[in-house]
Amino acid sequence: MITLLIEHREGQIKDICFEMLTLANKIASAQKKEITSVILSDNCQPIADTIKSYCHKIICVEDNLLQNFNTQIYLPVLSNIIKEIKPTVTFIGHTGFGTDLAPYLASSLSIPLLTDTFDIELSSDKLLARRQMYGGKINADITSKSLPAIVTVRAGSFEKIMTSSALIPNLSASITKLPFNINPAIPEQSKFLEYGEVPTTGIDITKSDVLIAVGRGIKEQKNLSAIEKFAEDIGGALACTRPIIDAGWLPKDRQVGSSGKTVKPKLYIALGISGAFQHISGMKSAETIIAVNKDPEAPIFSVAHYGIVGDLLKILPLLANRIKEMKA
Amino acid sequence: MPIETITKEIRDTIIELGGTDAYKCYQCGMCTALCPWFQIDKVNFLVNRIPHNVKIGNVMASEEKEVIEKEVEELFRCVGCDNCLEYCPRGVNIGDVVRAIRRILVDYEVLPKTLKDIATKIYSSGNPQGEAVEKRNNWGKNLALPLFIPEMEYAYFACCIPAYDAQARKIAEATAKVIKLSNLSFGLVNDDVWCCCETLRNFGAEKVFKEIANNNITALAKAQIKKMIVTSPHCFTTYKNEYPELGSEVEVIHTTQLFAKLIKDKKIIPVKPLKKKVVYHDPCTLGRQNNIYEEPRDVLKSIPELELLEIENFTRKDSVCCGAGSGGLWLDWQKGERMSDIRVKQAVDTDAEILAVACPYCLIMFEDSIKTMNLNLQVKDISELLIESL
Amino acid sequence: MEIIVCLKMVPDTSETEVRVDSTGKDILKVRLVYTTNEADNYALETALLLKEKYGGTVTLISVGPQKVDEVLRMGLAKGADRAIRLTDDLFEKGDAWTTAKVIAQAISKIKFDLILTGCIATDDGGSQIGPALAALLNIPSAAYVNKIEIIDNVKLKVDRELEGGILEKKELHLPALLTIQTGINTPRYPSIIGIKRAAAKPLDVFDATKLGIDIKAIESLTILERMYMPKIEAKAQFITGSDDEISLKLATLVKEKAGL
Repeated sequence: MITLLIEHREGQIKDICFEMLTLANKIASAQKKEITSVILSDNCQPIADTIKSYCHKIICVEDNLLQNFNTQIYLPVLSNIIKEIKPTVTFIGHTGFGTDLAPYLASSLSIPLLTDTFDIELSSDKLLARRQMYGGKINADITSKSLPAIVTVRAGSFEKIMTSSALIPNLSASITKLPFNINPAIPEQSKFLEYGEVPTTGIDITKSDVLIAVGRGIKEQKNLSAIEKFAEDIGGALACTRPIIDAGWLPKDRQVGSSGKTVKPKLYIALGISGAFQHISGMKSAETIIAVNKDPEAPIFSVAHYGIVGDLLKILPLLANRIKEMKA
Repeated sequence: MPIETITKEIRDTIIELGGTDAYKCYQCGMCTALCPWFQIDKVNFLVNRIPHNVKIGNVMASEEKEVIEKEVEELFRCVGCDNCLEYCPRGVNIGDVVRAIRRILVDYEVLPKTLKDIATKIYSSGNPQGEAVEKRNNWGKNLALPLFIPEMEYAYFACCIPAYDAQARKIAEATAKVIKLSNLSFGLVNDDVWCCCETLRNFGAEKVFKEIANNNITALAKAQIKKMIVTSPHCFTTYKNEYPELGSEVEVIHTTQLFAKLIKDKKIIPVKPLKKKVVYHDPCTLGRQNNIYEEPRDVLKSIPELELLEIENFTRKDSVCCGAGSGGLWLDWQKGERMSDIRVKQAVDTDAEILAVACPYCLIMFEDSIKTMNLNLQVKDISELLIESL
Repeated sequence: MEIIVCLKMVPDTSETEVRVDSTGKDILKVRLVYTTNEADNYALETALLLKEKYGGTVTLISVGPQKVDEVLRMGLAKGADRAIRLTDDLFEKGDAWTTAKVIAQAISKIKFDLILTGCIATDDGGSQIGPALAALLNIPSAAYVNKIEIIDNVKLKVDRELEGGILEKKELHLPALLTIQTGINTPRYPSIIGIKRAAAKPLDVFDATKLGIDIKAIESLTILERMYMPKIEAKAQFITGSDDEISLKLATLVKEKAGL
């Protein structure tokens, strides 16, 4: 049996569930096992409807106390389910919720936990998980000494089930409703209050997956607004080199470099940056680096994955339009 | 703990680690007036307070977070240019006192994060840029430069900055070309010799300095290198003045000394004219700290039609630091607070077209200031000017 | 408030190349600089700020070999009151579960109101020990906390950062455990007075026997089979053509890599 915990927030099922379902389908078909999705919520039916073609069984536990994620309240419910159905492996998303819950759950059950995995291999008696260490510089294969085990799955590692070729055909999950009982002392220990939003002043560029960095090559401050708009369009944040800070065009918390911040985004677009070593040392570990500079000898090209020798002020508007077209 | 005990403890710890000169100071304030920071209005760096604070144990004595943070920034401001030492009537070596304080702090990771990262990078991969050890001599491959073998007379050590940086590489390339033209037998130092670590010693990372220095000495001895040409005055000063007490027997020669000798011996003859006004900046470490003033000038004067200018009142031992020493190359001071800005302005005021330097740090700092201030001045290393004339 | 802070000594690999050693099960540790795990510094600062405001003591705990003393002394220099080092070959060989069990055993003998750990360690990046420890001690926990408020000395109000710029606000009853997110405050430097005082503060060492720990009970639940380098892409492909062609190729690339 393969189990996965469906993560939802404010009535919305989170995308990671569809990725975990892909993983579950992949393994289930190879190992001839069944998939059980577990939904803990104040209103299970709409969520169950969304996922019923992707798993064999759904367990629903419904109560107002389950409306919002809460490790202390989810814990006894999930513990009982795991003890009861003894799944070989339980998937939980490696998310804000999952990192709070999974270690607590695994520890209280004294079962193995493998976190932040991007790939799994399950054979008849062995579970192997792949994960990154040392800030992504090393990969590691970890096995579980015993089963059942819990695995937290890294977001973005799998396709969503709807477009995946791993989909087991003709599934229509049967739904089982379990009663909810909890020691009344537990909700007093840990209470969900409300959701809020992170204040937007003062962006932490080290947390951004996409960065558009500007250097002296942008020439004038007025060129910044178009670049800012482009950054928004591709879901990225603006960063820069020191001269831009000096000029007062961007605040100090946007500086990338040895005396600014060191960043490791998925995508780093360097516009008009020559690549002085003080800057390079702050961004050379980005997953994909695209650099645009007039000078073919610019040192930035020695760390970039893709280079364009050209005038960014000409290329950027064309690029921005293309992106707009593609998104439409 | 009573106040008297605490401050005495602080004082004694600093004195023990090399701060004895603090006792020589009688607070005349000469150092403060001569420090390059004095020329920047926004900065209030009171050099003479340093020995005073050591004597009363008032160094990092506060327990308030903000006070400590500010103090740490100030304690890492000194770039070790020794202008104060040059004129101090009592010969107080403020640099030694500052280094003693920094050693205590660095042991507890009390230093700007930027410098901590530099120490980590040098410790792990032998250079402050954190690039791979094996890439050190890649710049030489394009010029088909051989590695040193014992049959050769000289070894050339380019310094981490030219070796690993695309901008400063031109210094190493020009130097190698000059030496090649002289038919001197030389090869590149192998990549098991790492950064000289002079910067680390100056900002207090003494343990790392000693460990890597000892490794360097062993590697040089193994390679049987007896005479080493260096591009950076920092490598020069540390091999000349600090490595011998750790057991090094390598004789160092700075590129300008070598060039001057080669020209004198007519091994190379500058023939192509360079009709430009060139002002020479004495690097603190080459000039004031090692008294090498004339050789660089002799080299420049040997280039036909080159007009050599001086920065009046601030030449030779009065040269104003570029600000890159003791980790200054990596630290970031706000716009309007940069030492190198002062110097390039002085250079521009001489009407020079080219600012000639003899140090990779100076090259980087001045090129940066010129770009930021949008000035009409070129920076060239002496090796670059020389190769154009050969 | 009696606060316990768990510290971990890790190699600083953020600025260096990391390579796998000849066993294939560990990294080459030869030229690495060791330091306090970044998130743990923030946890310690959080504890010190709470101590300044509410009084009480801060106890540091770390699992590791003797050189871990450096991390503990630094913590003591910043203002912690005592430190405990848990050292034994058996602990070294274990996984995160082992570490959590060992720390739980040590803490079981100490009275505390709050335990703080870093949210993640820069070496293994597992993010496990905090909540696992809380489960063993049977106290509530919250991970990735970036704001804390103490209410009436018995409750905590915390903010946790979730995905997409959303915060979750919760209330926990003390005693509790929090894993602390980086950026929550600015970790302080120790003063020289602090450094001098640190030498005199208690640093107790416990091995498996002294802790009275059941060896079977702390056996790892997972095995590290191998470490290897991730695939590296070749560098610097130049995109050429007319401005239009370039912008098209570039847009396709950006769309893919930005996950649009």
